[in-house]
Amino acid sequence: MGIAPGAVLDSPARAAYLTTMKLTVNGREREVTPDPVESLADTLRARLHLGGTKVACGRGECGSCTVLLDGRAVYACLTITRACEGAAVTTIEGLAPPGELHPVQRAFIEQDAVQCGYCTPGQVMAAVALLAAEPAPDEPAIRRAMSGNLCRCGTYPRIAAAIRSVAGRGGGTGA
Amino acid sequence: MPDESRRFITTTIEVEGREETKVVELPGRALAPWEADAALAIVGHPVARVDALEKVTGAAVYTADRVAPGMLHAVLVRSTIPRGRATVDLEPARGVPGFIDAITFNDLPSGSKPVRAGGVRFLDPDVTYAGQPVACVCAETSGQARAAARAVRLSYAPLPGAVTAAQAIAGGAPPVRARGGNVSRSSPVEASRGDVERGLAEAEVVVRGRYTTSSALHTAMEPHGALAEWHGDQLTIHEGTQGIFAVRDEVAAAMGIPRSRVRVVMEHMGGGFGAKNHAGAHTYAAAFLARRTGRPVRCVLDRAGEQVDTGHRAPCTIDVTLGARRDGTLTAIVAAALVDQGISGWEASTTKIFHELYACPNVRTTEVFALSNTHAMAAFRGPGHTEGAFALERAMDELARELGMDPLAFRLRNHADHDQEKSRPYSGGPLRRCLEEGARRFGWEGRHARSEAPGRAETMPGIGERAGTFPAGGPPRWRRGFGLAAQVWPAGGGPPAYATVRLHPDGSVDVLTGTQDLGTGARTIMAQVAAEALGARLADVRVILGDTERTPYTGNSWGSMTTPSVAPAVRMAAEEARQHLLEAASEVLGVERDRLATGGGMITRRDGGDPVPIADITCRLGDVTITGHGSRGPNQPGVAFTTFGAQFAEVEVDTATGHVRVVRITAVHDVGRVLNPLLARSQLEGGIIQGLGLALFEERIIDERLGRPLTTGIHDYKVPTMADIPDIDASCLAAVDTTANPVGARGLAEPPIIPTAPAIANAVADALGVPVNDLPLAPWRILGAIR
Ligand code: FES
Ligand code: FES
Repeated sequence: MGIAPGAVLDSPARAAYLTTMKLTVNGREREVTPDPVESLADTLRARLHLGGTKVACGRGECGSCTVLLDGRAVYACLTITRACEGAAVTTIEGLAPPGELHPVQRAFIEQDAVQCGYCTPGQVMAAVALLAAEPAPDEPAIRRAMSGNLCRCGTYPRIAAAIRSVAGRGGGTGA
Repeated sequence: MPDESRRFITTTIEVEGREETKVVELPGRALAPWEADAALAIVGHPVARVDALEKVTGAAVYTADRVAPGMLHAVLVRSTIPRGRATVDLEPARGVPGFIDAITFNDLPSGSKPVRAGGVRFLDPDVTYAGQPVACVCAETSGQARAAARAVRLSYAPLPGAVTAAQAIAGGAPPVRARGGNVSRSSPVEASRGDVERGLAEAEVVVRGRYTTSSALHTAMEPHGALAEWHGDQLTIHEGTQGIFAVRDEVAAAMGIPRSRVRVVMEHMGGGFGAKNHAGAHTYAAAFLARRTGRPVRCVLDRAGEQVDTGHRAPCTIDVTLGARRDGTLTAIVAAALVDQGISGWEASTTKIFHELYACPNVRTTEVFALSNTHAMAAFRGPGHTEGAFALERAMDELARELGMDPLAFRLRNHADHDQEKSRPYSGGPLRRCLEEGARRFGWEGRHARSEAPGRAETMPGIGERAGTFPAGGPPRWRRGFGLAAQVWPAGGGPPAYATVRLHPDGSVDVLTGTQDLGTGARTIMAQVAAEALGARLADVRVILGDTERTPYTGNSWGSMTTPSVAPAVRMAAEEARQHLLEAASEVLGVERDRLATGGGMITRRDGGDPVPIADITCRLGDVTITGHGSRGPNQPGVAFTTFGAQFAEVEVDTATGHVRVVRITAVHDVGRVLNPLLARSQLEGGIIQGLGLALFEERIIDERLGRPLTTGIHDYKVPTMADIPDIDASCLAAVDTTANPVGARGLAEPPIIPTAPAIANAVADALGVPVNDLPLAPWRILGAIR
């Protein structure tokens, strides 16, 4: 599967027989003509120039490409764009209106849940999906929901604190 | 400070345990350190990361996000055999749609010195490890480039090789490379003090053990990558690197052009941990292909490339003998290490820590750096000390056990209050304070009160599903144990490092310095230091890093050097700018200069007048630009600028499955002044979590028969996830180091990884009552240890 953006730019021959499809991305309907097995991560990065969705492995091992598909967190590198016809995709760029922050983004800044930042968009999206499904997750629920998003810098304790602070359960480090 | 009239002096600088002698420039002025009780408004406060907003909104641009008009995509073609000659047939690739160009060794400029990447000749067909690049193709899209790379036909004339140190040094082992033998030229490296034979004769208790550490892979989330663009004879490279100037110099030499013609830019990078200190095959591939095609070329490794060809922590086998008198006094420390470097790499001493950590008159270490047909080692956070600490601290616990002493009391009994190697004082510490404070925070004394008292039911905290209770009576399935380990690490920083501070007419401030922010928070630290020294508001300060053409020189971000090297230069630049600002304010306001000061973005006055915003003064100056320059002066000679730390671990071991759960870790480190407690805690936690990975999961696995790496992804190579994280109580002592440098801080990136694995292993050994001497402590090893 695709590793880097630009994997799939149209060649004239392909464009001739591939049909366009509709995808709602960050609230706007977009028309794209992806290759048959093109990943959503490639479509977002290379066609729609949404570079906030990071691809650290390209094979479903790390979660850095996490986006919301109809509100659910998915790995964009393992999601086939053609299977998303008519679906609503939310990426890190569309989480909050320009100039504003989603509460999870604000909590990440306040709790210093960011080091190099490469895993961060995926972590934020996974946290948003968790809180949407479960507004007051307990510690095991946070760990379970977030354990598919790797962070090599080791921001996990801060991410958990950020999620707790948004869930209104205080900001301590204990369970 | 030596002779005031001299501008250049020769001094010694310590980088990751290596000492280098360098000529350095003395700064124009000496700065008095910020004293421990200095009233600082911004430094030392938990301010949020200045680039966090960019990062949480996805706006931060990394190498793989960068696109240049007309850009091509390059993919490296790698050998699948570890040793032999590869023949590369590019013809099938040329037919792949979108194919533009490809290079092999024969296409590189001949006559000049061969280009080296990862310790081997770039694109050398005589391969010495599996995964070694032998060609590079580029195409219009990355998908086409991958397809073209797959189409390249490789055939091989294999040679026998050796993929482990043990294989490489065995009698009759085949040579791992064409010239130079299977051990490094320096091997064996020997170091000793006192007389260990006498020390062992004096010992009443002697323990011996063999300890092994695994090959850990850095596994930064952002893979290595570079984007190269030529404009005439000027080459620009965007690369997520720990050393923009190192990459510049290496690329300039490879291309045969002056350094002034190469510009290396690094704005954001997704972690480095030691693997991104040099130009790599991807860098040279992008630069050469961009020159040949006349188009920008981006080469970003895929995850497999990242895992098989960007360096590793050298796996070690360390034999340790310790001797002590019955009263617990160490009389002899002997260690012999066999280090598997891979095909090349610098020699990170794993035995230096045996000479440093505890007081002992008789120490002897021997170290053999073996070469093998695996990719070259690369410094990995705390290289050498981390592996050595595991062996030494495990052995210390075994000895404490033999002596019937408490492990903490045993360490305190052998506490080293000065640098024994060079008979010089430490600028900070000593270790005792970390051990005592850590023990207090952890509750070391009363630890057994909440351990596996038979018959007492106790619910496991943490992960709900794994919670269990200790059964009443009988040997419990879950056993609890406690361990500790300590750390020293040289992190005083040093010259050269330069910075420039300039004020705009609207009062906003630029800080320019050529360092890198790997995710450490360097950008934030430099902003805090500049704002503090200038008296500006933090919000008005912008830090510009990572551009060899536009920011003044600083060295690589390695060896926990950045803060203690660069922050003093930034402070000096800001102090100079402040002096100029006050002179300008004196002229504008008609007030004597010594009645003016700065703070909080204002010029404050002692003549009874109202404070005036800095912007009012700079605005009056118009385009007359206030600028300050700063540089890092040499360290005071005869002092060791060492960091200290102690970590305490509580673990629970499931004796049925061999699973180890780390329940909590307490860490106390002494790194001098903490410039930002929020960022310091993040660094400590990050180091501890990587140390936990080293302790429990992380291991590159090579098929010893085929010589091929099996851990080619993050699914096979296990790094910690959120589910593995214990409660971490990480803190620093309030111990400003006014001897170290004018900001009072030593480095803190590497220290926290050093004691984690031995603290966890000591806790596991405590829980099980048997030694565990091989990393990682995977379930199969635990089950093997108790059966
Ligand atoms: S990039 Fe999608 S899971 Fe790693
Ligand atoms: S912040 Fe660096 S990988 Fe998570």
